[in-house]
Amino acid sequence: MMTRARLPGIVALGAMVTLLTGLADPLMARADETCNSPYISKLITGQENYVYVWTLGVEGLGDGSDKLVTVDVNPKSKRYGKVLGSVSVGTRGEAHHMGFTDDRRFIWAGGLAEPTIYVFDIATDPAKPKLVRTITDMAERTGYLGPHTYYAMPGRMLVQALSNTKDKGGVTGMGLYNNKGEFIASYPMPTDGGGDGYGYDLAVNPKKNVLLTSSFTGYANYMRPLGELVKDAEAMKKFGGTMAIWDLKAMKPKRVFAVPGAPLEIRWSLDPKDNWAVTAAALTSKIWLVKPDGKDGWQVKDVATIGDPAKIPLPVDISITRDGKGLWVNTFMDGKTRYFDLSNPEAPVQTYEKVTGKQVNMISQSWDGRRVYVTSSLLANWDKGGDDNEQFLRGFAWDGRELTPTFDVDFTKEKLGRAHHMKLGSKSLRASPPAR
Amino acid sequence: MRRAPYAAALLLAAVVHVPASAHTVDPVPPLDFEPPPAGSYVLNRIMQAPDGEVLGVDGRVRRLSAFTRERITLLGFIYTTCVDPEGCPLAYRVFEMLSDTLAETPALRDRVRLVTLSFDPARDPPSAMRRYAGSRLRDDRGVPWYFLTTRSARELLPLVDGFGQDVRYTIDRSNGRARRELSHVLKVFLIDRRGVVREIYSSAFLHPRTVLNDIETLLIED
Repeated sequence: MMTRARLPGIVALGAMVTLLTGLADPLMARADETCNSPYISKLITGQENYVYVWTLGVEGLGDGSDKLVTVDVNPKSKRYGKVLGSVSVGTRGEAHHMGFTDDRRFIWAGGLAEPTIYVFDIATDPAKPKLVRTITDMAERTGYLGPHTYYAMPGRMLVQALSNTKDKGGVTGMGLYNNKGEFIASYPMPTDGGGDGYGYDLAVNPKKNVLLTSSFTGYANYMRPLGELVKDAEAMKKFGGTMAIWDLKAMKPKRVFAVPGAPLEIRWSLDPKDNWAVTAAALTSKIWLVKPDGKDGWQVKDVATIGDPAKIPLPVDISITRDGKGLWVNTFMDGKTRYFDLSNPEAPVQTYEKVTGKQVNMISQSWDGRRVYVTSSLLANWDKGGDDNEQFLRGFAWDGRELTPTFDVDFTKEKLGRAHHMKLGSKSLRASPPAR
Repeated sequence: MRRAPYAAALLLAAVVHVPASAHTVDPVPPLDFEPPPAGSYVLNRIMQAPDGEVLGVDGRVRRLSAFTRERITLLGFIYTTCVDPEGCPLAYRVFEMLSDTLAETPALRDRVRLVTLSFDPARDPPSAMRRYAGSRLRDDRGVPWYFLTTRSARELLPLVDGFGQDVRYTIDRSNGRARRELSHVLKVFLIDRRGVVREIYSSAFLHPRTVLNDIETLLIED
């Protein structure tokens, strides 16, 4: 059995460098129209109207609570680039990720500091989400803490947690709920066969009956001030270094792969002919490919380097284009948005980069790839300080050669908080009753 | 219960050879993975199937629970004018293939039923459902297949809400004339003998082989 992943020395050193320069981290999200669960059928293939931003509350800023912020992003709207409103949840719990239900009527969202899940209705009026349910039994039912990934399954939501309530370490699992918010089952991350028990993201390939999971770290690390964390050699060993491939139908892990350095977001190619996925390892700054091995099994390969790993650029989010030919990568430390040509997934090549902020985290794109959205916050205790602590949602136009800024919402000036995960919304998805 | 290899072989043959049907749809593509053996996995208890009043093709009022208890039930929502190839026609095709397979497998035939329920009561009265069913109504070889509708949206709503079956209107103007369509995410529900939903299939993985596997898993559980 493999012991918990150990950080390569260069990574630990790099993290220390990061500390000295003011900040760092690993983490991030699933966003955009090209990175949703395959069970969500109502994709927005035209112009989106809204970007929903799941925002961490900041003490003393506005009401200080986590909130879902709605921004108008339709260029034809009079309120283009403006905040339409926000729904506060009344607490500050390290708001992080969110996900649509399979019918796209609701967004489930949660924070990493608590086991609570918030359900927002975005169908009754997509311009004005409403908090309609709070699910509070995850810790009691599963022992897991810090719900992170919300992955729509037919009639259900599979929730990947990052931690546990017992020791607040990285050993964790997934909870399965039906769309009414009723608990169904839990699934621990594998701790044998090389598994470290850690979790982060999950992504399904229904054609192959495969679920793929990645690994990050637990509450004890991600809630700790980064400056302290990187000085603690033992704590720095407690980052995930594995990916697991599961039999989706049986929900049983089949094999664990060593993928050092906290592999985070997982993106399957959306090309129906493809059966491969990519991830980015935050601490080692590598892109990994997961693909069939030709013998009814799977293999992983380190296929590209993101920036200079010695400088710990920290890739924190990736977004794949709908044709599987391109990959956006946001690196938190240097504030860069990078584009990789994925035409050959065995050898991705970076073809573009631009500094899009002093710190950047999530990246989302429209279905046609022409609009790109970037947010700023990683974790409350890991974001940069002083003037480098920009908090924003920025829009860009992408013509295949250049990212051109289109709007900028200052989340500090607006007294909203730290902008994190994004989901796209459309007026056309307003719910209407069946035949009468 | 022992797995019925004969049923699996029949199903495989049905997937490969697609006979002509009144409901013109593309053949179901072959499954691109080997599903886990029946009984080697657990089907979760997802939720209780809702109940309410429905109409049979004879216009008689019945409780839906009369069609979701005692036997294992595969239930799908459709509307008869649906043309989305990954929607209702796919569900019909899969039901048709399963029906043929189950009819040839006595161990399964008497323990399973199929239910097709319209979510368009305005355009799918019992007479429309009768036409939609076609020769299947007169097929008394084996597995029962019921074609149901409701009297009104008021009676339908608790059922679609209870199952979590999203449906809404869209207006299609692609041909120059406004045409009302129902937009929905295809869902097919596998319900155990106690009326509990044990699996929900969407178009991404609705395949007769996996459904048959799941039916056998429930029978083994019994």
